[in-house]
Amino acid sequence: MMAWQRLVFAWRFARRELVAGELTVLALALVVAVVAMASVAFFSDRIERSLTLQASQLLAADLVYSGGVPADSGVRQQAARLQLATADSATFPSMVSAGGQAQLATFKAVSNGYPLRGSVTIRRADGSLVSGRLHPAPGEAWADTRLIGRLKLKLGDTVQAGTQRLTLAGEIVREPDATLDLYNFVPRLMFNLAELPATGLVQEGSRIRWRLMLAGEPDRVGEMRGWLAPRLTRGTRLENVEDARPEIKSALERARRFLGLTAMLTVALAAAAVALAVRRYLARHWQPVAVLRSLGLTAGEVWWLFAAIFLLIGLVAGVIGTVAGYAVQQLLMKLVSGLIGGNLPAPGWYAWVMGPGSALVLLAGLALPPLAAIRKVPALAVLRVELPPTRQGVAVPLMAVAALLGLTAWQVGDARLAAVWLGVLAAFLASVGMIAGAVVWGARQLPAGGRVGWRHGVASLARRPWLAMIQIVALSVGLMALLTLTVVRADLIGAWQHSVPPDAPNRFVINIQPPQRDGVIDQLAQAGLTSPVLSPMVRARLTEINGNTVRPSRYESEQARRLAEREFNLSWSDVLPGGNRLSSGAWWPAKRAKPQFSVEKGLAKTLGIKLGDVLTFDIGGIPYEARVTSLREVDWDSFRVNFFVIAPSSWLADQPASYITSFHLPPDNEDAVNALVQRFPNLTVIDVTAIIDEVRAVVDRLARAVEAMFALALAAGLLVLWAALSATRDERLFDAGLMRALGASRQQVRGVVLSELAWLGALAGLMAGSGAMALGAVAATQLFNLPMVVNPWLPLMGMGAGLLVVTLSGWPLVRMVVKTPPSTVLRAG
Amino acid sequence: MAIVGASGSGKSTLLSLLAGLDYPSQGEIALFGHRLSGLSEDERAVLRRDKIGFVFQNFQLMPQLTALENVMLPLELAGRRDARDAARSMLERVGLGHRLKHYPKHLSGGEQQRVALARAFVIQPKLLFADEPTGNLDPTTGRQIIDLLFKLNEEEGTALVLVTHDTELASRCDAIYRLIDGKLSGAGR
Repeated sequence: MMAWQRLVFAWRFARRELVAGELTVLALALVVAVVAMASVAFFSDRIERSLTLQASQLLAADLVYSGGVPADSGVRQQAARLQLATADSATFPSMVSAGGQAQLATFKAVSNGYPLRGSVTIRRADGSLVSGRLHPAPGEAWADTRLIGRLKLKLGDTVQAGTQRLTLAGEIVREPDATLDLYNFVPRLMFNLAELPATGLVQEGSRIRWRLMLAGEPDRVGEMRGWLAPRLTRGTRLENVEDARPEIKSALERARRFLGLTAMLTVALAAAAVALAVRRYLARHWQPVAVLRSLGLTAGEVWWLFAAIFLLIGLVAGVIGTVAGYAVQQLLMKLVSGLIGGNLPAPGWYAWVMGPGSALVLLAGLALPPLAAIRKVPALAVLRVELPPTRQGVAVPLMAVAALLGLTAWQVGDARLAAVWLGVLAAFLASVGMIAGAVVWGARQLPAGGRVGWRHGVASLARRPWLAMIQIVALSVGLMALLTLTVVRADLIGAWQHSVPPDAPNRFVINIQPPQRDGVIDQLAQAGLTSPVLSPMVRARLTEINGNTVRPSRYESEQARRLAEREFNLSWSDVLPGGNRLSSGAWWPAKRAKPQFSVEKGLAKTLGIKLGDVLTFDIGGIPYEARVTSLREVDWDSFRVNFFVIAPSSWLADQPASYITSFHLPPDNEDAVNALVQRFPNLTVIDVTAIIDEVRAVVDRLARAVEAMFALALAAGLLVLWAALSATRDERLFDAGLMRALGASRQQVRGVVLSELAWLGALAGLMAGSGAMALGAVAATQLFNLPMVVNPWLPLMGMGAGLLVVTLSGWPLVRMVVKTPPSTVLRAG
Repeated sequence: MAIVGASGSGKSTLLSLLAGLDYPSQGEIALFGHRLSGLSEDERAVLRRDKIGFVFQNFQLMPQLTALENVMLPLELAGRRDARDAARSMLERVGLGHRLKHYPKHLSGGEQQRVALARAFVIQPKLLFADEPTGNLDPTTGRQIIDLLFKLNEEEGTALVLVTHDTELASRCDAIYRLIDGKLSGAGR
């Protein structure tokens, strides 16, 4: 037959098979798999886009190009060509005066159009709050609460900025991109960019940070970023939210992993369902294949026929599943729209391709390898009963693993994470298989005794050891997903939300001089604030790594260049600071430690520093050289004081240092801080409440999104249960018919099936519970950098859930089996 | 007795009606003094379990059970504690004492039908229904199976209802009925 003839024949054959109901289970398994995967893909794609949008609010733009001079016309023309919205700002420190008093402030001049993302909230003179894309009108200025307090201003007063007089028209309550100026901790004065020349403050050598804010379609913003990146010169840089805010980056990263984990579980579950459906389909087609062979089809032609059927079914299921997946995702969006907020951006093309593509990959990995066995069906099989082989070669599991790995890597966009995940899954499946095999073998050795239903239930499990193992493994995957998605998820999300506790430090105090240490501690203690840890810091510049001079230009990434350029805050400590974990190396002894450094892991990776490297820091013109003896992981979102580089105190303690601390200030205790600043006027107190709220809001939204996605994966888990039961339905019906013919009562038949289901459920549940416990612990510590989450009740809960879910899911089967008329046995075969 | 008829004449349907595997839409069937229509599904199952044996054309062994386990099955359903011993000795009687732990797929067609015979006779049935017992076997093996069937039948004193289209086989029975277009006719040899 020609290729097209084969396809036409396959299409007709597939249509007949569908009508006859032979492909229903496989097609449904594929559709549900694709629905799950596509809706997860659509959902996560849109949520990610939405999150990026929300994160952009911290920048007041999608992308910011900043430098010591305003962006040139080339950059602006490119932005215009890409139809990006733009706005400008200029930020610099200067003195503002009013009523005979002067105060240092950060001036921020913004153009019309500011902010491009997010909103500004100001309080007007009448006390009303106004929010939106607002900027001061020409001739007006807005000041934040600190500046108004320090200069004792009222709205409507006149303030002097350089040579220009401005009317104070609003009090800044919230400014989206204030976080960019975290260390510009001085009070804020904002006015229109049109007023800037009149202030006379822009002069040669002024330390002004010019920002060009850009916003638009994600693809075009990406294109702009790509265009700008190679054109960055010294002093210019691109700011995006992930670089600007490590704690937001960390929250986003965790969210991606949570979403990825859900997607991967869905992939594994869908694969299990498809594998079971394929197994059933091929088992039922052993005889029909023999008939086709006897009608003159060669082994190769038979293989092609069924491969083409799978291909067609895959495409059809892929398209239907994708459309249904989009609908499911729309429903989910409706459910969470109030929580995620706003109009969600449309999904990208990628999410549309995901469905049909993954259906084909699933079939290629899970259906084609077992299909190879179909070539071996002899035409002679039409004359005698031939059973499909129960064991297959190594190609079958290998291809399945390859397909899963490919799909998982595709879903999460990270091959290493996919491999780790599949490794854990494979180890789990192997151990479940081995334990299930051992238990089944043990059950087979049980002496006959007890009720007939119970005894036969155990025996029929034991008498089909391979099938029992496959079922237990598949069911435990489903149940593990169920438990992971309910119990472990709650524990993990709880731990995650807890990582930004309600009493997270919201004030940083810097510039504490050594003689002021005790005074600061006393003062804070008197105000009833938790006794803070004061960390010393000195400014240091990294000059050499292993004797080689550090040159920023040698680094490819912009972030690395910036880190190589800037001064670090180096600290010393004898104990590993809280919220820090050693990822390699060892911490030094508390006393008489030799000179050495402990480096934050992310920094080490960016700058290419390895354990054992010798670093040289320049502190006040003196080189300090020592080996890196440990790398640390730091919880950036803990809002504690953290340092990139730490050394033993015995080495650096006599350096001229200032101290930094952080503490949680309850909302109604602002006086404590004012008192502190009055007593030690040189101190600078930085308020990070807004940032913490922002992070917490992001975490909450992500947690809800992840929960919604877990519901989908849960549906896929139930599909596996269903597929596992329907895969063995024909055999059970035959067994039941024969048993009925041989005189078994309904109760006996029901007892056999129920006890087999109970054994299956309990065993699979026990292993799923243990697996979920291990998975939760691994996920918490290895993937999410959270404290170990272990719920000792999980194995028992697993058993209970297994019993319940499997028995309930199997109930229709039990009813069907009990109703099977014994006469079917005469018509079978 | 034998019931003979062409393919599609309704032999298997008649057999399933006689054995209480199916309900007649009209008429009445009585078995061992019980009107089958007056019995529940489970009561008929008990009747089959205690008094009726089956031999099928396609052997109908459970593929996942060994020969011994297949023969044990009806005894276990009846709650017999000596199931294993009784099944073993029955298999020895049919000449399969050395194949106890083999699965059906490892047995030849003839051996599978011997296991089916052992399963049918192990409960010492009063009545045995055999549906084309040689239909899937070559003539030589078929003859051996039939010899064994009649031998066991005689030893156990079982009444045999044999459905076949093989007139030679039917001629070994005491009575022959012909099923033509759903109607049974003639008795005697």
